[in-house]
Amino acid sequence: MAQAVWEKPAGEAQAPVVSRERLKFLIGGILILGAILYLIFSGMQAGARFFITVDEVVNDANYAGQTVRVSGAVLGDTIRYDEATLTIEFTVVHIPEGQDVTGETLFNAVNDPNATQMRVRVEGQTKPDLLRHEAQAIMTGTYGADGVFHVSELNLKCPSRFIEGAPGEMTEAGS
Amino acid sequence: MLAEIGIVFQALALAASIYATIAAFLSARRHSERLLVSARSAALLTFPLMLGAAGVLLMALINQQYQISYVWQVTDPSTPLFYRVTALWGSQQGSLLFWNVTMSGFAFASLLLNWRENHRLMPYVIVFQMAALAFFAGISLLMESPFARYWVTQPAPSLPPVVEAHMFIPTGAEAPPMFVQPGGDGFFQQGLAQTANGLNPLLRHFGMIIHPPMLYLGFVGFLVPFAYAMAALASGDLTTNWIKATRRWTLIAWLFLSLGLILGGRWAYDVLGWGGYWGWDPVENAAFIPWLVGTAFLHSVLIQEKRGMLKTWNMFLVIFTFSAVLFGTFATRSGLIESVHSFAQSAIGMPMFLFWLIMTVIGVWLIMWRRGRGELRDEHGFAGWLSRETLFVLNNVVFVVLALVVFWGSFGMPIFSVTFMDTEITLGAAYYSLVTVPLFAAMYILMGVAPLAAWGAMTMRRMGKALVVPLALTAVGVVIAALLGARSAGTLFGYGIVLLAGIVAVYEIYRGARARMVTSKESLPVALLTIFGRNRRRYGGFIVHLGIVIIGIGVIGSTAYQLETIQQLGRTGEAQIGGYSVRYDSLELGQIAEDGRLMDIANVTVLRDGQPVAQIRPRVDHYPSMAVTIPGVHSTIEGDVYVLLSGYNEIDGSTATLHIYVNPLINFVWWGGLILIVGTLISAWKDERAPERVRTAATTRGGMQWGVPQAGQ
Repeated sequence: MAQAVWEKPAGEAQAPVVSRERLKFLIGGILILGAILYLIFSGMQAGARFFITVDEVVNDANYAGQTVRVSGAVLGDTIRYDEATLTIEFTVVHIPEGQDVTGETLFNAVNDPNATQMRVRVEGQTKPDLLRHEAQAIMTGTYGADGVFHVSELNLKCPSRFIEGAPGEMTEAGS
Repeated sequence: MLAEIGIVFQALALAASIYATIAAFLSARRHSERLLVSARSAALLTFPLMLGAAGVLLMALINQQYQISYVWQVTDPSTPLFYRVTALWGSQQGSLLFWNVTMSGFAFASLLLNWRENHRLMPYVIVFQMAALAFFAGISLLMESPFARYWVTQPAPSLPPVVEAHMFIPTGAEAPPMFVQPGGDGFFQQGLAQTANGLNPLLRHFGMIIHPPMLYLGFVGFLVPFAYAMAALASGDLTTNWIKATRRWTLIAWLFLSLGLILGGRWAYDVLGWGGYWGWDPVENAAFIPWLVGTAFLHSVLIQEKRGMLKTWNMFLVIFTFSAVLFGTFATRSGLIESVHSFAQSAIGMPMFLFWLIMTVIGVWLIMWRRGRGELRDEHGFAGWLSRETLFVLNNVVFVVLALVVFWGSFGMPIFSVTFMDTEITLGAAYYSLVTVPLFAAMYILMGVAPLAAWGAMTMRRMGKALVVPLALTAVGVVIAALLGARSAGTLFGYGIVLLAGIVAVYEIYRGARARMVTSKESLPVALLTIFGRNRRRYGGFIVHLGIVIIGIGVIGSTAYQLETIQQLGRTGEAQIGGYSVRYDSLELGQIAEDGRLMDIANVTVLRDGQPVAQIRPRVDHYPSMAVTIPGVHSTIEGDVYVLLSGYNEIDGSTATLHIYVNPLINFVWWGGLILIVGTLISAWKDERAPERVRTAATTRGGMQWGVPQAGQ
């Protein structure tokens, strides 16, 4: 087997060679570490998105023109879809922070007359099935000077579907 | 009645696992064989008990026991039998029970198969396996019971009755009605069977049916090497015994995890309708991280077997593989991270977090303790920077760094920013592509170079010599890729390193067979069979490398050259994309499928050079709760034409909006996955026992080393 040939004989004469080898490993290690850190930092600069609320986008000028992620509740009546130009427009309302987004939070948000509203525009995309009243829209895009949030990536969630818990609608006629 | 039986099974399994943990621990302290045997019996018993509980839930699902809230959540009267069975792992509680079944099953198998050979490790193996099982059994029994039932109670005489799920029957409670005739004038207007949820439509796909069990088998399978490593640390038997006992278990867990990841990708491609198969979603990443750490472990463990090096490092890897499994389970099941397919929010977050933390801390503490006592000292130092050891260490660096950056992107950064920066920062796809692409490139380069390096040390010249033939063949391959249309320097470089890795794998297999043909005068097929039979792990490993190479070809092609267009077409209107024409022919509205869902189906013709090559039927499935867009796909070796029906005139079908992707070479991803599975199976298969004299010859200090000396190794 090859290893017998390549095995280094142990001995004091070899000591300086070993430390030179060590130095090589050390320098190699530092170079690799540096490269990895550089990668991670540039990756974070390219990929970092602030995940903020509708209130913050609309009222905080710091976020204007920046690519951010925003979560809002969809107002069903405001959805306009032009199939010829593949443009979707709708309005989302602010979802209060600090709680999990459930069907109830979304219901409260769309029925709160004082909640901040924001117009949203999505281009080059067909209307997703989940885009409807009381859905939670998670949007990546930029807030323009025109007061419209221009979306590059749209995700929708309807947490009221497949909820776990009591079958409450059993007592409601016709649901 | 069924529910009670299920609960009893679960409670007995929990009791048995707790007893086994304690008895095994005491047996280790007191060196009591009698206690150990008793602990083992209890541990073995957990598997049939868990199977019993799962069987009960299965019966409840099949017999439509909607009073059991889990059954109500995941099935309804129209659910076909097949999906009733798979609903067993369709949601949180059922999948936790299923998790328990697989966990006890792995413990059962490893305690049966490794009992004799690894007797000294057994007490602590049982301790760690059963402690983990007791934890998950406890969660399943007490916090996420799959057997909770709906009961009607009257909170106060003046208040209306309430329907709630309880595990035990509340006093004075009644079962809700199963079915109420329309117009019934009682309190209930509808019964349980009429309101049942049904399985989430997105989960009705073959990939989704076997993807979760495969993932769970992969996750849970890493419990075996973890428990053996912990047992080695706790018992002080730090020879390679634990590695030998667990290498096949590790491969089996890795096999299932790989299969789960591939099937998950296929499911996303077929059902989620965004033209891709991997989205760096936190839940996907949670499964990918243990795969990465486990892959690092599979490689570095070879160095410990061959050279007695990296002992501490290997302990860290095996412990962190399972730790990553626990963390991923915690993150996805507790609702910690926003994700498109995260499980419901639930109360099990804190206990799962604590369990993960405790297991990890115990593991790290045991390693540091043994290391402090000098028991994990390496037998060799690193001899040269081009040695195979060094290249394997670099491979480990790549995999571990990949695991860390994926962890940072999906969990670290969001949690850090929320905790310390008072805002939430998430890292999008741009982060992953920028950071992971160079690391994957490094992985492929190492995959091409490392198999050529020798143990111990190697000179640059020897490496250069060994690389001549593979590099020349790679150059030919790159020229062919360029002629076939790859133009950019980046993709040509990508194809170059991927091809080099593949050529080296084939070249090494060829060299092994060649040496055999010369020494034993065997024909090529016989020689191939012999080398695969004699050293399954080595040559199976090269097949796995080939699988990864083919996946790489598919990934580069389908990401770098994907084309996309959305067009609204009238009847017989055509969209042009990537040399294809896609023609909208007609729409079939309101077709009824077997399970009662309505389907709107478009008839679409794919043409090439004016000639029709395929008829495809992209469609939209309408379920009561949601609509699912299912693509129509024309698959060839060149790639897929992937068409989504993303809008249409709902009255007469006069227009349809088609979202069309051309995904070049995408099928290489699935074929590569298949080859990877085959290679892993070869590696994990039991080795033929070598003839007695060879075995004696191969025996060196510390018992028999892995495998048999091979020509050309």
